[in-house]
Amino acid sequence: MKNKLKYFYSYTPLIVFLILVLFFARQLILKEDPSELPSVLIDEKFPSIILSELVGYKVFSNKNLINANGPSLVNIWSSWCVPCKVEHEYLMSMSNNYNIIIYGINYKDNKEDALKVLDLNGNPFYAIGADQDGMQSINLGVYGVPETFIIDRDGNIRYRHVGPILEYDMEKIILPIINKIKQERL
Amino acid sequence: MTTIIKFIFCFFIISNSVLADTNNKAAYELYKELRCLVCQNQSLLESNAPLALDLKKVVMDKIELGQSKNEIKKFLVDRYGEFILLKPKYSIQNILLWLGPILFLLIGFFVTFVFLRKQSMYKEEPLPLTNEEENSLKKILDNNVS
Repeated sequence: MKNKLKYFYSYTPLIVFLILVLFFARQLILKEDPSELPSVLIDEKFPSIILSELVGYKVFSNKNLINANGPSLVNIWSSWCVPCKVEHEYLMSMSNNYNIIIYGINYKDNKEDALKVLDLNGNPFYAIGADQDGMQSINLGVYGVPETFIIDRDGNIRYRHVGPILEYDMEKIILPIINKIKQERL
Repeated sequence: MTTIIKFIFCFFIISNSVLADTNNKAAYELYKELRCLVCQNQSLLESNAPLALDLKKVVMDKIELGQSKNEIKKFLVDRYGEFILLKPKYSIQNILLWLGPILFLLIGFFVTFVFLRKQSMYKEEPLPLTNEEENSLKKILDNNVS
């Protein structure tokens, strides 16, 4: 009996090692970005924010998000943000091919630069509000542009995407959630 | 008259700077306890990321409005989650986080205690020599002496 126990003890390093392997493998296989934060605002009302106008474009407020006809996206972008340029074509696609209403928040940007980008690359937004000093976006818990929120009919935040929306994100994450919201009250 | 005005003026300057000092101190303490969400293991105090500068401004503005440290922390936690606090809250969810190290220390003490006790238990006293052994020992010793 005593010997058996000793036998078992000699395996402890191996057991500890295997536990560590499992621990690390989980992170490797799931490929979650540990620096990506979950939003605390999921299933909460979209916080009230006050945005200024970008000349020539419709501005929006919280009123637009509440009692809407369908789900909408709120995308935080800026002309100086490189990943925003990457996701731009997918925003265009969602706006044009899937008829999704996208509201843009122009984050800490020079308004002229923002207008130039919209002229040059096209405008995927239904309406745009500018947050020039970045203080309004703090209410949204924004910590890195681009970020995209999916809002349901009642103005509740259902999902937050941090970083650019790529093809995979659009098809496998954003569109399925939007379809799910669309079917909720049919 | 002028001396009185001067005196009042000085008083204002001093009281203002004292106020600014206490505000700065409160802000400094808060900056140290809040996480920069861009460079995630730095505090706001250490970080110069644009978002960190904005958050510092928010904190400073709120302190100047007379809000307490807890109110400001709650404001930020409501928006960014508990992750923004570098020092986790003392709450039921975090109990393992806070008591874990003590728990492991106690486990370590326990294991050491059991191990040492076992060792001292198995330390057997040598059996006294039998008569036969005693005789042969004597023989060997005698032989060596002669």
